[in-house]
Amino acid sequence: MRIEGAAVAGIGMVRFDRYPDRSGAHLARDAGLLALRDAGITLAEVDEAFVGYIQPAAMIGIKAMKELGLTGLPVTHIENASATGLVAFREAAWAVASGRAEVAMAIAFDKMTDMARNAPSRGTGRDQLDSTILPAAYFALWAQRRMHDHGTRPEHFAAIAAKNWNHGALNPLSHRRPDHTVTVEEVLASQLVAEPLTAMMACPADDGAACAIVASTDWVRRHQPDRRVVRPVASALQSEAYSPGHTFLGPVVGPATMTRTTALQAYEEAGLGPDDMDLALCHDAFANEELEYYELLGFCGEGEGERLLDAGDTALGGRIPFNTDGGLIARGHPGGPTGLAMVHEVVTQLRGEAGDRQVHGARRGLAHLVGGGSVCTVNLFETD
Amino acid sequence: MARVAIEEGYFTVPDDPAEAPRLLGSRCGACGEHFFPRRQVCARCLHDGCDDVELGPTGRLWTWTYVHVPLFAKKNAKVSAYGVGQVDLPEGPRVQALLVGGPDDFEIGMEMVLDLETLRTDDDGNDVVIMRFSPHRAAGAHEGGERP
Repeated sequence: MRIEGAAVAGIGMVRFDRYPDRSGAHLARDAGLLALRDAGITLAEVDEAFVGYIQPAAMIGIKAMKELGLTGLPVTHIENASATGLVAFREAAWAVASGRAEVAMAIAFDKMTDMARNAPSRGTGRDQLDSTILPAAYFALWAQRRMHDHGTRPEHFAAIAAKNWNHGALNPLSHRRPDHTVTVEEVLASQLVAEPLTAMMACPADDGAACAIVASTDWVRRHQPDRRVVRPVASALQSEAYSPGHTFLGPVVGPATMTRTTALQAYEEAGLGPDDMDLALCHDAFANEELEYYELLGFCGEGEGERLLDAGDTALGGRIPFNTDGGLIARGHPGGPTGLAMVHEVVTQLRGEAGDRQVHGARRGLAHLVGGGSVCTVNLFETD
Repeated sequence: MARVAIEEGYFTVPDDPAEAPRLLGSRCGACGEHFFPRRQVCARCLHDGCDDVELGPTGRLWTWTYVHVPLFAKKNAKVSAYGVGQVDLPEGPRVQALLVGGPDDFEIGMEMVLDLETLRTDDDGNDVVIMRFSPHRAAGAHEGGERP
């Protein structure tokens, strides 16, 4: 169903980085205050909030919200692994589109560095049945199969990583902002993590928070008459549909094709197609994923991703720039907030406020995430 | 000394160590789809009532990787490298598991066979074993199981 009558009223984020001395709640507060300020309101005007995080702790969302004020508003926790932030946004958009709320907040925070510190408690990684395959290994399994089926080379994955590192250099809110042009050779020479993926093809572990405020389009036009109005027009969310070859034991990020069916649903709901998009943000936790998503999101045919990449079509200045803010690889991926950082970038681009990385004349953008377990979400935005 | 599974319910631990273990799976009583691990409701046709079956012990390698830094981004853990992969069983299920061997030993499409590796001895003196797949070589050639 197309989302009607909702628009983004405010965005804010704390640059993803390592913040050993700041709590998740304080990171959330700072992102929330930035978004409220961007919208020109306080929490008093917010009718409903959706709080996302993936770190395993109870009640921390509602407690983080108290840092912004105690107004009695309904607060709901959202957890959908890496897709959490976009799913929180989806709920806020629909709370407004349904008429239930005039103004709704999606906010997320996480401290991946805490989780990384505490993670190996279940053993040494290898000596267990269910978590032997960590994310780098899981996506390396995709990469190996891709190389087998399509003759893809590690250089292709490295080119995507280098592109996203270099996009990050243009984004003040990127975790990684290299001071030189990152090359394919540099990416390939970094530490081999899981064949064929190297450390520079992977997202960093970081902390952060991000927030987006959605309001009715009427409200936004009334309160922000001088600003270009950015509207979410579709938000598809799918969990896995069973297909032969499904793996039940071990980490599951779903079949790659889940992105195809989710994207088709989003395009259909919006009455739009890939040719209508001016930029795309996708789950590039590992560089090889982005190559798959070129095809699965419909920007080229199967097996044609390498050609799209080689032609420069997915870099800034190309036909359909991907991960203009640096993506998960450079901008960062703390977990819950990642999707709201994507909303932040799409809105900044469609408002025409992206500075050195502005996609000229951008009117429509796509934000995609997968989450372990697994889920996939594709969200489409447009401006007038 | 007895051998015990690292976790109950996933694979058999034959009394005879020379005998290959099998995977504990399910077969849907209505549509015949096979699953690993065991489940009650068929994921294909939603029939409530799958039957217990044993699967494997051979399969074909669908994809693999060799993990050089197993706990990447988790700074305080030192773990040695190992292979992992997805193996398609003849009955249908795709199984993710450890692989035996180094990065040059694997090729997509090769035949694999399930075996058990002793990880440690528990407090009662039992050998705790985990399942893994090895490249299926000539008989007698796959007892190795060295950890790289």
